This record gives sequence, structure tokens and C-alpha cells, in this order.
Amino acid sequence: MPEYLKCKDWWKIESFRKLGKDIILGTVEIDRAKCKGCGLCAGACAASALELKDKKVKMIDVLPACMSCGDCVAICPRGAIQLKGYFQLKRYFRYLDRGEPSLPRKF
Amino acid sequence: MNEVKEDLEQGTKSKIIPPESGAPFNAVEEVIYRRRSVRYYQDKQVPDYLIRRILETGRFAPSSGNTQPWKFMVIQNQELIKEMSRDVVKMMRLLMKFADYIEKGTWWKEWISKLFQRFSNNMFHPVPAAAMKLIAEEKLGVWHGAPTVIFLLMDRRSAGDPMVDVGISGQNMVLTAHSFGLGTCWVSFCKPIGMMPKWKKRLGIKFPYKLVTTVALGYPRGVPDGQVPRETQAIDWYEEDGSFKVIY
Ligand SMILES: Cc1cc2nc3c(=O)[nH]c(=O)nc-3n(C[C@H](O)[C@H](O)[C@H](O)COP(=O)(O)O)c2cc1C
Ligand code: SF4
Ligand code: SF4
Repeated sequence: MPEYLKCKDWWKIESFRKLGKDIILGTVEIDRAKCKGCGLCAGACAASALELKDKKVKMIDVLPACMSCGDCVAICPRGAIQLKGYFQLKRYFRYLDRGEPSLPRKF
Repeated sequence: MNEVKEDLEQGTKSKIIPPESGAPFNAVEEVIYRRRSVRYYQDKQVPDYLIRRILETGRFAPSSGNTQPWKFMVIQNQELIKEMSRDVVKMMRLLMKFADYIEKGTWWKEWISKLFQRFSNNMFHPVPAAAMKLIAEEKLGVWHGAPTVIFLLMDRRSAGDPMVDVGISGQNMVLTAHSFGLGTCWVSFCKPIGMMPKWKKRLGIKFPYKLVTTVALGYPRGVPDGQVPRETQAIDWYEEDGSFKVIY
């Protein structure tokens, strides 16, 4: 039997404002020295997880926020953003059978 | 049959040879890997010929039993798009009055939210649920100011899984658009439009057609396309010699 089926709380739906416990948000790292404050990343972010403040961009870590799509990473003309943490849900909505993240691979 | 044979003999169709191991990505792979959802558009409209070229690739998608169960609608009337967006926002606001897991101190909302999640667990999955809240608060646009929106409808009477067929045809169009340097974003928060009698009547969405999803299309601001890291997924592999492996 797969491991996730053995888990008793698998079927239990939880309120997902319990950050860390039932939901782990994605995180991006912004190199403040490279950022020129153009705001493209904030405009691209579907989760409104990025905020432009004092001509620099920073992350908001309240719900709802980053789902680690990487759209901000891709759009930044300065290469100032890096994807660090990956979005994960717990319990009922848990993502299964995932491995290490990577860029497109050539085999 | 004879004609096909002649074609092959005369070599009028060239054969495609697979890449060597480790070879650079070809043009198709490049477009697939670089495609990102675009949520920031220029005001410039996309010329008709490009839109027609994009729609044409949707027409050539595979479908169960070659039923081609799709119907496309192109919407460029900005007033119409704005009006629809406003109605989507209104619907999301209404929904958030009953189901909002994020707001603190409203136990009954949480309880109803959980019920919604249980019985409609795709729509009320935490990610779209969070996005609905953002739309209700107008922090997330509906069609993101795109000058053109393509509506994808399916014929409900069709064979097999028409929704899958429509999805494939949509992705054909999306990839074509990105290969032209245009930007797209799939937008499934169009769902209220497909349910509201007012819009069904105005847009003529009626049996056998059903709105599946929409794609926003336009010239992007900046260069949003680029490669990003993604999680790998377990792939179960049953090998020729009878053995089994899981790769990532
Ligand atoms: C069927 C479908 C519906 C989507 N609906 C929306 C939507 O309503 N609004 C939105 O901003 N993005 C929407 N998206 C875009 C996803 O958020 C996006 O594909 C995902 O975050 C991955 O990012 P990428 O497309 O840049 O690779 C949708 C995507 C799909 C496939
Ligand atoms: S896109 Fe890059 S440079 Fe522009 S605001 Fe975002 S992080 Fe800064
Ligand atoms: S990875 Fe996606 S969701 Fe996260 S901050 Fe960047 S654009 Fe927003």
C-alpha cells in the first residue's frame, strides 16, 4: 500500500490558513542589489505575493500567496529572482509522488 | 493509397530524424519550456491574421473519433470584456461571503468552506479558492487586460471526453501564440460567465455548447517567457524485460 494511504489524516480537510501546518507557501529570493524596481514581477504574479516598496520588490508572506510558479523568475530582466521553496499542501490535498525540482532536462 | 506510395517514393515528404542524446532542444521544445502565463499586456491589439493563424492550429488538434467537438469565440470588444470581468468579480464576492477559509474568526464560514471543498474539491482546492479571494478583492485580474480573449466551448454531445479534446486544441493555440512572441494565459475563472443566464443569452452559449475555459491573448509587457524549475513527478516504468522501476 502506498505510504500516503496509510496516513490517517489523509482524508481530513483542514482550514488552510494554518501556515506551515496545512500549507507551505512557495518562496522566492530577491537579490535587492540587482532589482531596479521595474515592477514587472509584481504584475506577473498571480498570487499577489510580491510588493513594490521603496523602488524594490519584496515578498508578502501572508495568505494567499506564492504557489512557486516561477513567472516572476522568468520575467525579471535582471535575473534578480530565484525560486527557493516549493508550494506544498498537507492532508487531503497533499501533492503526491514528487521529486526534486529542476529546470527542463536534456536526456 | 497509390498517391501516398508515390509521395514516399518520390521523396516529396522528408523524414524527421530524432535528436541524438543530449542534443539541444529543438524549436518545439524551446516553445514548450519557455511558455509562461502572461498577466501583463500591452495595449496594442493583435492583428486578425495572427489570430486566424493561431485559431487554425486549434482546428488541427486530435480528438476522440475525430469529432472535433470545439467551438471558439474571439472577443475583442473591450467593453464586453470589462463588463464580464465585473460580473466575475461580483460572483466571487458573493461566494466569498459564504466560503472564505482565510479570514479569521468566522467559524461558520470555515465550516461551509470545508463542505464546499469536500463536494467540489477541484473548484475549491486551496489554490483556486485563494485566487477567488484575490479576484473578489480585485488584486488579481480576470483577463489581465488582454486585448483579445478566446473562449473555448465544447459540444456536449460529442464522443469520449470532449473536455480533453478542447484542452488539447487550446494548448495547440497557446503554443503557437508563444512561438510568435505573443503572450497567453489560460483563464478558467470565466466559469461564472458560462453559468449566468444573462451571459449565456448574450453570447449564445446554449445546448449543445458549454463553456470550458478561456485563453487571454496579447502582446506581453517585458519578456515573460523563460525557463523555470518545476517539480519532477514519479513515473512508473514497466520495462521490456518484465522489471519495474520508478524514475523522476
Ligand atoms: C485550465 C487552466 C486554467 C487557468 N486559469 C487561470 C486563471 O483563471 N487565472 C490565472 O491568472 N491563471 C490561470 N491559469 C494559469 C496557471 O496559474 C499557470 O498555468 C500556472 O501557475 C503555471 O504557470 P505557467 O503557466 O507560467 O507555467 C490557468 C491554467 C490552466 C491550465
Ligand atoms: S522584475 Fe526584477 S528588477 Fe523588476 S522589480 Fe521585479 S525583481 Fe526587481
Ligand atoms: S513564483 Fe509565482 S506565485 Fe511565487 S512570487 Fe513568483 S510569480 Fe508569484
